[in-house]
Formats: sequence, C-alpha cells, structure tokens
Amino acid sequence: MPSHLNVPTKYWELTKEVPPPPIERDINTWIIANPSDPLWDIDVIPLTYTDSRWSAFVLKVDEPTRQRLVPNPPLTVWDGEDADLVEYWYVEHVNTMLGPYLEFGVTVSATYKDPKGNVYNAGYYPYMYLTGDAPVDAGRVLGFPKKMSYIRITTHGGEKGTDFFGFAMSRNGYLLHSATGQFDDKPVKPPYFYGKTDWGKFNMKVVTRPDLSSSEWQLTHIASELPEAFNIKGHRFQIKPEHTRTASSDAINWFQQATPFDNMGAEVKIQEITGLISFVFDLVIPVPSVLWTETYERPASYRGYATPYKYGLRQQFPISQGS
Amino acid sequence: MGLQANEYSYPWLEEGEVPPLPLDRDRIHIISQGVADPVFDYDIVPLTYTESRWMAFVIRADINNMKGVTPEPIEITDDVIEFWYVIHRNTMLGPYMEFGVTFSAQVDDGSGKIYRAGYYPYMYLSNDSPIFAGKEPFGFPKKAAYIAAFEHGTNNNYFNMLMERRGYILHTANGRYSDKPLSTRPKFYGNTEYGRMNYRITTHPDVTRSTHEVTYLPSELAPGQGHRFQLNPESIRTATGDDVRSWYMSGTPFDFMGGQIPATEIVGLISFTFNLIIPGAETIWTRVVERGPDDFGPLLYATPFKYTMRHRFLLPQYSQG
Repeated sequence: MPSHLNVPTKYWELTKEVPPPPIERDINTWIIANPSDPLWDIDVIPLTYTDSRWSAFVLKVDEPTRQRLVPNPPLTVWDGEDADLVEYWYVEHVNTMLGPYLEFGVTVSATYKDPKGNVYNAGYYPYMYLTGDAPVDAGRVLGFPKKMSYIRITTHGGEKGTDFFGFAMSRNGYLLHSATGQFDDKPVKPPYFYGKTDWGKFNMKVVTRPDLSSSEWQLTHIASELPEAFNIKGHRFQIKPEHTRTASSDAINWFQQATPFDNMGAEVKIQEITGLISFVFDLVIPVPSVLWTETYERPASYRGYATPYKYGLRQQFPISQGS
Repeated sequence: MGLQANEYSYPWLEEGEVPPLPLDRDRIHIISQGVADPVFDYDIVPLTYTESRWMAFVIRADINNMKGVTPEPIEITDDVIEFWYVIHRNTMLGPYMEFGVTFSAQVDDGSGKIYRAGYYPYMYLSNDSPIFAGKEPFGFPKKAAYIAAFEHGTNNNYFNMLMERRGYILHTANGRYSDKPLSTRPKFYGNTEYGRMNYRITTHPDVTRSTHEVTYLPSELAPGQGHRFQLNPESIRTATGDDVRSWYMSGTPFDFMGGQIPATEIVGLISFTFNLIIPGAETIWTRVVERGPDDFGPLLYATPFKYTMRHRFLLPQYSQG
C-alpha cells in the first residue's frame, strides 16, 4: 500500500510566534494577496532591522548618466555638493521581520519640487536586487524596484578577521558585478546625503491594471525621521560607528557588466570608484507618502503587442537547478 | 589590487535579441518597476507558452476547509482539487518551474452574471520574473520556492515532485504511471465555460487603502476560438491513487497550505503537454478598503520581532540566481 501522509499543522494555532492568515482576520488588515497565505503580512509594517551591515562603494558618475537614470518628470538630479557621488551598496540583513537576506542597490541623489514649491531631496533607487521573495515583494508594494538575484558578501581574514572582502551578484547565470579587496581604513568621502535628516529616499512605483489598459506611476518618499509614534529621535537609519571600515580605490578590484536580462552595467557609466565604506546599523522602514502620480493609458490593441519569442535572448536559457 | 573594469556594451540590442532599453522608450511601454530595468517587461504581453508539461494530482479535501481559505465573493463549487506542477520550457519569461492549487469556483458579479472558473489559492514558482508578472497585474498568488518535477526511467514511466521553501518541505510525491483512468477529475477540465480567477489586492504605498479585485481570464481568447490552453492528447499519462507510491504534505510557519487543506483522498495524477496563451485579465469584482487613524495603530506601529518564527531562521545558502 502506498504511504500518503498529510501533516495539517496550523502553526498560528500552536504558537503566537506566527500571525494567523488574513482570511481569519479583519479585512482591514489584509495588505497583499492571497488572503489564505500571503507572501508577507502585517507583521512587517513598519519593518525593523537590527545589526545589518552596509557596504557601499562610492562612485563618481557624470551628470548625463545620472539624468538618464532619474525619471524626469517628476525628478531632477541633485545639482548641489558632491552631486556626482553615487552609491553601489551591498547589505547583509541579519535580523529582520522578513527573515535574513542579502541586498544590493544603487542610490542617486535627486530632487522633487511639488506644485506648491516644496522641495524634497532624497536618494533615488534605479536598481535593487535581493535574495528573498518576501522582502522583494514587500519592498515593491512601497515602490522599491526590486528583483531577485544570487548575492554573496564575505568579509574575513587579516588581523581584525574582517580585513578582506568579496562581493558578487549574478542573475540568470550572468555575473552582474563583483568586487574584491582589502580594507585599508583610509578616508573615503561619502555621498552628500549621508547622515542628513532632511534627505529621505525616493522610489518610482508602477501599478498596471489587470487588462493592461493603463499604468500609474507613483513617486514615493520615505522621510529620514520617523513619525512621533515611533518614539525614535533623529535619523531612522542609526549607524554604529565602532564597526566602520573603509577601503580606498587602490584597494578595490572591480568588475561590472550588462547582461541580456539586466541593463545596470550598460546604463551606469562610472568615471571613478572612489572607495568603499562599510558599517553596522539599525533601521526602521515606515510606509512612504506619495508625492506625485501620473497615469499612462494604452490603446486596446496593446494587449496583442508582443510577437511571441521575438526577443530570443529573453527566454532561451537553461532551467536553474536552484530556487 | 585596484584592477577595475566596466563592460558597458549591450550588443544584443543591435541584433534584436532584447527589447529596446526601457529608458529609451515611451512610458506606455513600461508595465512594471524599476522603470530603468523592469522585473518583467512589455515583451511578455500576451504571454505565450509552448510544450509545457503539466502534471496534476487530483485530490479531494474537506470542502469546509476550502471555503475557509476562500474570500468573498468567490464561492467554492466542488471538493475535487487540481494540485499541479508544471515545467515551462519555452516562455517569454524564461524556463521555470511552477506549482499551483486550483479550486472549482464561481462569482456572481452583482448583476446576476455568474463567472465560473478555476480559482488559485496557492502558487509557487522558481523564478522572480514570472512571479511578479503574474502577481502584480493579474493577482496570481505567487511565491518563490525550490521546485523539482520530472518524469524519468523507461518510457518516462516514473514521476517525482518536490517543493521546499525556507527549509521546510511543503509537498513531495512520487510513483509510476499505470495509465489507468481516474475515478474523477476537476469540473473545469476541458470546459470552455470555466476561465481562471485570482484575488488581487493592491495596497497604496501609504497603506491608507487597499483595492481588492477578482480578476478573470476567460478560457477562449475570443468567442469560438477554442480553449487558450491547447492540450496534446497523445502526451497524456495517468496514475491512480494507488500508483502514487508516496505523498507527503505539511503546513509550515511560512506556508499555510498543508495546514489549511490537507488531502482527504489522492485520486491520482494526470500529466500532459500543452501550449498556452495568457492575455490581459478582466476585473469582475472590486472592493476598496479604506484605513483611518484607528486602523493604523496595529498596522503601522507593529511590535518589532513579535512573530519571531517569521524571522529567526538560517540564511539560505542559495538564491534565485
């Protein structure tokens, strides 16, 4: 006789360490589908990180490249001090409510002026990659441009046990970026927004109708300081300075390329890699405000726009044996 | 030390192997974020599949359990469930593995019109682009998982499926095809009256409101054109419940399916090869949930790390790459 076993464990009935599924709660608490078992849930809002490690390569990038990356309208590139400094950052998130994961992103300084003349300065993210599905989706709901990728971050060896570093990121089998080297703890000038509580973060969310008839672009903004209810003063990004390490340009080996699936290596043209800054931090991510929206309508004929398999490099590759 | 190179070339563009760079396009040709490099792009509309392999266990569950995981206005009409794995070999989203559960269901749109469809309460895939292409515009409830599904041995007589997420096995089954008929099958099989339904929730970034929609994909691309799911009848293999040598399913702290709809009977397995087109979806029901200040307490100011089983686990040694 065959063995057929079902173990119908409902963890939310065994322990208070798991929230019950939305379908068993008030509909006001349903954030994403499916209500039987969502990819992430209310227990991540606001999202809290403890002892994450940020490792940011600081790059000089010319204005034409930055202007192309920053969607105008509604944004313009920041034209003030150190406007050309762009961050390429890797993060190890050890303790979060979305589970541990690795992350990569690019930050460009940008400005938005609303119709009333209010000016918002913030870091804008044109590219982000993560190793986990739940943090990708939770971020995308807030507007972050997240994709999944394979990421590795290693700091090890030397006198301090953390003197050497290796970073790597690939997707669909292609290497997007890798950097190796040794922390020499020489000074590295950070981007202008470092530590400034009047600089937040921008993202451009795109919400497309199920019939593809339109897409709404939403410029979202997360301020640096938290609402009073959090009872946290100062920047919501709290650095622990005793863990900071730096590497100068001469201490960094670097390779980047575009791939058929990811264009970052073609779009982000780098004039100089000025250094690496690495530190430990705590962070709270609250929900953003929406500063600007615009809807782009499509004709009915759009539904049949694509010619199947026209772009051969987008679909002909081996099945990954991982997940 | 200090050796640095950036390869900026993008040769595939000139050869027409990739679509134009998103930053060179009109904004109507961007259907997802990031706007510089979307996770899924406009070259997938409509999405076309060729020679995919469908391997569907037919199971029964307690219909009250099924109703308990299904939101209004969707009504469950049968206790026979399709519990399916797919190998997608040729798609515009790249090859990927997929798993899903389909209930027979219907929705009254409020005007008395009844839409019949297979409804998906759970789905898992192996790659990010098809997850978000399904999830964001259409509402497919997709998550990422490790999925293995294959047929092998003489005449591909043996089958095996396995699905894991965050270190927990959600489901596995294996056995041998006997090609005997199954005692029952889902209502929607081969029935062009049945489309497919999803429950989409789109939450505004500031969480002040969520739009709930039932999206609907009819079976026919246009009336009289036949099913958009074209099955190759010569490729069909079957196994009865007794041919399914082993079956294991379990609920986990991260995935509730095994706890919510344990199988009461494994009826068998139906496998076949098929072609498929997925067009844009209709919206047949909408409800907007607004949130005021009183709702924000538990939502926006949650107690950090309260649900500790949701974040204390080992860093996986692999990822989607």
